[in-house]
Amino acid sequence: MDQSTDIRYLVIIVIAVMILLFTSFLVALIFSQRKKMKYQASMEKMRTQQKDKLIEAAVRSEESERHRIAETLHDEVGAILSSAKLHLLGIKEINLDARDKVLHEKGRELLNDVIHRVRGISHNLHSNILKEFGLNEAIRHFLKKITQGTVIEASTELDDRYITENADNDISIYRIVQELINNILKYSKASQLHISSTLSEQELTLVVFHNGEGLTQEQFEKLRYEKEGLGLKNIQNRIILLKGKINFSNGSEGYRTNIHVPVNPVEHEQDNYSDSR
Amino acid sequence: MLKDILNWSEVWAPLIPLAILLIRKNQPSYLKPVKYYVIFALCINIVANIIWDFKQAWNFPDWLQSNNFVYNFHSIIRLLLFTWFFILLKQPFLSTIKKVVPVLFVVFVFVNFIFFEDFFYYWNFSGRLLSLETGILLLYCLQYYFFVLTEENSPDSRPASFWVVTGLSIYVVINFPIFLFYLAFLKQFRGFAIEIWDVTNIAYILFFLLIAKAFYGPKH
Repeated sequence: MDQSTDIRYLVIIVIAVMILLFTSFLVALIFSQRKKMKYQASMEKMRTQQKDKLIEAAVRSEESERHRIAETLHDEVGAILSSAKLHLLGIKEINLDARDKVLHEKGRELLNDVIHRVRGISHNLHSNILKEFGLNEAIRHFLKKITQGTVIEASTELDDRYITENADNDISIYRIVQELINNILKYSKASQLHISSTLSEQELTLVVFHNGEGLTQEQFEKLRYEKEGLGLKNIQNRIILLKGKINFSNGSEGYRTNIHVPVNPVEHEQDNYSDSR
Repeated sequence: MLKDILNWSEVWAPLIPLAILLIRKNQPSYLKPVKYYVIFALCINIVANIIWDFKQAWNFPDWLQSNNFVYNFHSIIRLLLFTWFFILLKQPFLSTIKKVVPVLFVVFVFVNFIFFEDFFYYWNFSGRLLSLETGILLLYCLQYYFFVLTEENSPDSRPASFWVVTGLSIYVVINFPIFLFYLAFLKQFRGFAIEIWDVTNIAYILFFLLIAKAFYGPKH
């Protein structure tokens, strides 16, 4: 091998070594990045799980507080009011003069009204109907009760193929519907309200439709971060808990809220929650 | 035939990223210098190849009998545009050096071509200029990778800058030793110098393929 061949080989070797060094550097970089990405993904997953657990804890404590208040209202306040009614009924009207008779009658009416209202609040806070008769019946019952005596024409078209698999999820769906209907009654000035549901293999879709003034998705996203938007925040938290989706839209006929809830959540996701229960 | 295709690769290779640019018009702003470079490379390489292939047939003037000055010019513009690209990446690493280097490089170009070399030299391009340029670009690429390695948050997918820098790295890693010894080869082993230009051409094609990948963006 002469000197000229040596130099040419040398250059080729230098190029090969540089390519090799560069390739090794690139491979090391790609591996390091992949490792970093995996770490970031696992951290993100952990953060999401923690956030979900916090939301779940908040929702559950709210639910247990509702139950406690409902039971106190029903068992204690309700019992005292019933006892007061019995005592009032024990007064012999025959001994009363005309003025006292009117007062007695008024007192009885007011007491009946209070008992009725306390029972209503207690039932609203408690989810007895939901537990005993299921989600669809609870929604129908709530809608009927809340729109009674109002100008709103309410109707339902619920898919009765839906069977409760997870009672806690049903409570969340029910509370979302309750909150939406309360908001419609408070702010929308609607004359028609329709709730429908459809069940597919993957999800339950509930649609709350009304012909009043409602929310768009943009407004919902904005309001749920505001201090006053506590109800909307609760809706969002429950949606996160259900791993579902909520979508607000409006058309020429009115406003529509679509709630999508997966009906067969992945097993391991449920396991994650079962830890905190 | 293959030889002709390789010889004209300087012209057709930039067409690949340009074709991608036609379908993907919205590009990150830091790719602007790369876009300009691709257009510039296409134009200047057409000029270089026309001079080389048609200088006698079209009876060009004396100063256009050699296309070596085009390579010198190409090298200067490439370094300036890619320095701009690395500055636009806004990596908080060697940022002052990246701003000083092009100034020093321009000073070097003037000093070199006023006192030491002829910009329009007939027989060869400036090996000194091209090897310095590829050396600087190699350092830029290494600092880019070093920054990516030390960065705490990795993006979900590889950004367009990664593909541009990888293409540029391949090009400069292969060409740095070639340009460094090119004049020596031309003097002593002309045949080898011409043969090794094919390697430069292949590196150039890879460079533009990866720029095209950068323009194409992540998988959708």
